[in-house]
Amino acid sequence: MKNRVLRTLVIGLGLAATAFAPAASAQDRPSTMEIVKRANQASFYAGDDGRTEARMRIVGSSGREQVRQFTMLRRDGDQGRQQYLVVFSRPADVRGTVFLVEKNPGADDNRWLYLPGLDLVRRIAPGDKRTSFVGSHVYYEDVSGRDIQADEHELIETTDEHYVVRSTPKDPDSVEFAYFDTRIDRDTFLPMESEYVNADGKIYRRMKIEEVKEIDGYPTGVRMRMEDVANGGHTLVQFRYNAYDLGIPESVFSERSLRNPPREWLQRPER
Amino acid sequence: MGRLIARFSMRHRWWVFGVTLAIVVATGLLIPRLTIDTDPENMLPADQPDRVEHNRIQERFDLHDMIVVGVVNEQHPEGIFNPQSLSALYQLSESIEDIEGVIEQDMLSLATIDNVEQVSPGTISFDWMMSEPPSTQAEADSIRRAIQDLPMFYGTLVAETDQAAGIFVPIESKDESHRIATEIQGIIDELDSNDDFHITGQPVAQDTFGVEMFQQMAISAPLAGLLIFLLMLYFFRSLPLVVAPMLLAMATVITAMGLLIGMGYTVHIMSSMIPIFLMPIAVVDSIHVLSSFADRCRAGDDKQLVMAEVIQSLYKPLIFTSLTTSVGFASLMLTPIPPVQIFGAFVAIGVLFAIVLSLTFLPAFVAALPQKTVDGMVSRVRTHEESGKGADCRLCRFMSATGRFATRHATPLLVTFAGLVVVAVYGINQIYINDNPTRWFKEDHRIRVADRVLNEHFAGTYEAYIVLEQTRVGDLMATLNERAEPVLDQAAEDGHAIRKDWSRILEQSRSGNTENEVGATLDELMFALEDQSFNAPRDQAQYWDELLSITERIRSEAQYFQKPEALRYMDNMQTWLEERDHVGKSSSLADLVQTINRELVSGEPQDYRIPDRPSGVAQTILSYQSSHRPEDLWHFVSEDYEEASIWLQLPSGDNRAMQSVVDAVEQYKDNHPLPEGVDMTWGGSTYINLVWQGEMVEGMRAALLSASVFVLAMMILLFRSFVFGVLAVLPLTLTIALIYGVMGLIGKPYDMPVAVLSSLSLGLSVDFAIHFIQRLRAEAAETGNWRQAIDAVFEEPARAITRNAIVISLGFLPLLAAPLVPYITVGIFLASIMALSAVVTLLMLPAILRAIPSLFFGREIARATRQE
Repeated sequence: MKNRVLRTLVIGLGLAATAFAPAASAQDRPSTMEIVKRANQASFYAGDDGRTEARMRIVGSSGREQVRQFTMLRRDGDQGRQQYLVVFSRPADVRGTVFLVEKNPGADDNRWLYLPGLDLVRRIAPGDKRTSFVGSHVYYEDVSGRDIQADEHELIETTDEHYVVRSTPKDPDSVEFAYFDTRIDRDTFLPMESEYVNADGKIYRRMKIEEVKEIDGYPTGVRMRMEDVANGGHTLVQFRYNAYDLGIPESVFSERSLRNPPREWLQRPER
Repeated sequence: MGRLIARFSMRHRWWVFGVTLAIVVATGLLIPRLTIDTDPENMLPADQPDRVEHNRIQERFDLHDMIVVGVVNEQHPEGIFNPQSLSALYQLSESIEDIEGVIEQDMLSLATIDNVEQVSPGTISFDWMMSEPPSTQAEADSIRRAIQDLPMFYGTLVAETDQAAGIFVPIESKDESHRIATEIQGIIDELDSNDDFHITGQPVAQDTFGVEMFQQMAISAPLAGLLIFLLMLYFFRSLPLVVAPMLLAMATVITAMGLLIGMGYTVHIMSSMIPIFLMPIAVVDSIHVLSSFADRCRAGDDKQLVMAEVIQSLYKPLIFTSLTTSVGFASLMLTPIPPVQIFGAFVAIGVLFAIVLSLTFLPAFVAALPQKTVDGMVSRVRTHEESGKGADCRLCRFMSATGRFATRHATPLLVTFAGLVVVAVYGINQIYINDNPTRWFKEDHRIRVADRVLNEHFAGTYEAYIVLEQTRVGDLMATLNERAEPVLDQAAEDGHAIRKDWSRILEQSRSGNTENEVGATLDELMFALEDQSFNAPRDQAQYWDELLSITERIRSEAQYFQKPEALRYMDNMQTWLEERDHVGKSSSLADLVQTINRELVSGEPQDYRIPDRPSGVAQTILSYQSSHRPEDLWHFVSEDYEEASIWLQLPSGDNRAMQSVVDAVEQYKDNHPLPEGVDMTWGGSTYINLVWQGEMVEGMRAALLSASVFVLAMMILLFRSFVFGVLAVLPLTLTIALIYGVMGLIGKPYDMPVAVLSSLSLGLSVDFAIHFIQRLRAEAAETGNWRQAIDAVFEEPARAITRNAIVISLGFLPLLAAPLVPYITVGIFLASIMALSAVVTLLMLPAILRAIPSLFFGREIARATRQE
């Protein structure tokens, strides 16, 4: 099976409305590969570019809370390549911290980090992408999307509302899960829920889209919950002030933007 | 009175048996409900402030009880850093993660931690330290290089000798530690490794102690009982007769333990020793009765008549010795240590129950015996005693000689005693207070071995925490209101009524958070203000933005432990402590921030420093949180950055070691006062041990003093004479002084068992003096001659004292074979108290009486004696 996966996290959001017919009936069910591709498209590639403001509430296993707030810009390139610029605004002490990501499906991503408090630009070594994103339960890989080629996909169930796809890693040593099951909405192709299962067959991690809104014609997950089932604790992410197809120029996603964030693109759109 | 009780009991003996049996059965049925408690924390009441703080710290910083697994390789030239050892460690660590009850996400080992490093100039990497076991020596070497660079872990997860590595296994419940440790051992046994593995940690020690304590209760106490039984058999030559005190002792033990368990108390290490304490005390009374009975009874005598006389002459001293003993134990209730209180209370109850049985059950039992049995016993005792020499028995002759010796050499004896007091006082001054629950195991116990080996290699397996807290947080909401006021006024002036909205938003943000969760409240408030700014009429946005930035600023200001100066204070304190060898190692947020800062900046040692600005600190921490284990941060700082902890690792769990750390920190604080508005508290089990040890010493002092006063008062009351009252407590004073003096001289620390024994010794060692004086005065009144009275005391009463001393002293020798040190201590102590107080009583009292007879007997008797 050579399918694709959708990835849990839906930060980039939006969905390629153009890419699929909104209502796939049971009769003309797409192939598993197509489902995975479309889900990937819906959650990470909506429009040619996009902007969102994320508000994260991190609740640790013992109930301690932290917040993170950042604006994320995204621009799609060729062959699934993408660029992301993540600029932090809260807490105040990390304001101006920037991540720049060049996503290269099938190869290592390029990642940079700017820390204004230390006035440092650092490259983040390609390596494990399943580390925490700024202390949340969301992984780096969840932010930009897991390479759909990294797993084998299998359609294990089709319900009235969802396709349920099981994704099994091709290189089991590189990840902490044995497989994960994703429920993909049959209308929007948004992955509404992913459950990660460990070697003992236990679900230890769960992603859930709790609210979907249509924005600029793209169904968009605007509230997402990532849960640490094994240890307790979760992260709630709200995506607000979303916009697509803004025509963000490629120059915005350059190392220069790390120290000088592109104000005009970060600004909240007028009401 | 005594006669009356004895006659009544003998007449209604079946009632006595029935009631006794009913009590024993009723209480005995409660024993199966027993629960064991080995947690030293319970030495403090649940609401004791230090314990409350310790628990708060554990919760606040997500600290769990840890099992420590050590892997040691002293053979390989690279120590632990060879592919085989690391692979075994990796496998072990992975397998332990799967054990039920292990908190996987907090497990610490080379296989579970992240390595943050600058891999090439300008590039930082967050990756597992050992994502898979190394297959070559080169890979093992690079793991060593990496760990050596991480001060948080070097010395903790890997010994600085490079010959040992540790796995820290946090567990959900302490009660599970024995099972988990056993499972870990099972995994180790399956490993293909030549390394040495050790399992230790406070919870394992406790749980193991509980298991072995249980075994001791089942072995030591019955063994002691058996030996006492055999010794009594030797003295009294009658199996049926000797069965009586054994039954009595068993009834006492069962009743006391049954009551304790039935009333819902857990069996702590202290209470587990109740049987061992009660057995001799219960038997002591019986021996006095039986000894007197055997001495008085002649073949053909009516046993009931003899017994009634025996009880008549003994009931007073018996009751008083029991009262003093139970006062000694009851005084333990003055200590602020709940297990010690319970122990004291139930031994006291047991002692009182034993005296009731001695006065009722014992005569009833003797009365129930066939006359033949008693006659047989009497004649066997006689034959035995006479087989010694001539008309007198060996013990009789020896005792009489002792009495004569004491009166003849009164002056040198008294001088010797005075000399001994001087030595004892010197010795007592050498006593040092120290305890360490690990030392409750013998030197060669595997837990002691693990403890020794691991602390040789590592910075220390004993932990304590210093917690610094910024206390002015409560003011923040007030500050917020103060600063918001002008903005709200301005808005009103400009014609915008936003005050109501502000109050509503503020209220909403508060709900769901406690008063202490100011950080969370402010976070909520910021979210709400931001929404308000966006949704409110456009011309009001500026006011909301203003309020938002005010809130934000206050939020930042509250985050005290993101400030460089706060971290620097902790760092300096740590350096000071480590440089002076007070602690093996310390870790805090300051170490974490400096390490991450170094790797972010250059990876070179000169950048191991705290950033200059709070934002630099915050961003360093944010970078750290982008690792596999972001939650580790909360072991060092609270999420609102108002509290921070310093984890101290101590190579010794001795209270003395902990005390020196506490003193050192105090000294540091004297020279470098805590920043204004910052408070400091302590936590950690090593610290808690220190606290209860301190409370115990204080409490014991109070208990011992009050018991002494009480015993003295009782003696004066009993003898209705001040001088005899004082005389009665002199032997016990010397006995206790000598025992503690010797303890000081041989360097045995004053620990929990020793502390408890001080009260016991008080109650027990006065017994012989009571018997001695009571009989002496009766004889003196009868004969009008104090020399004759002393001679009479050195007949049957002295023999009873000696038999008692021998039976109890020898009876406790089996305790010396126990694998748990407190039991050994108790055994030695009990044996010494009984032996020493018998010797002291028998030598000191006649010597004093001889020196100043007129003081005690009045001029008349003194003169009459002199003339004779």
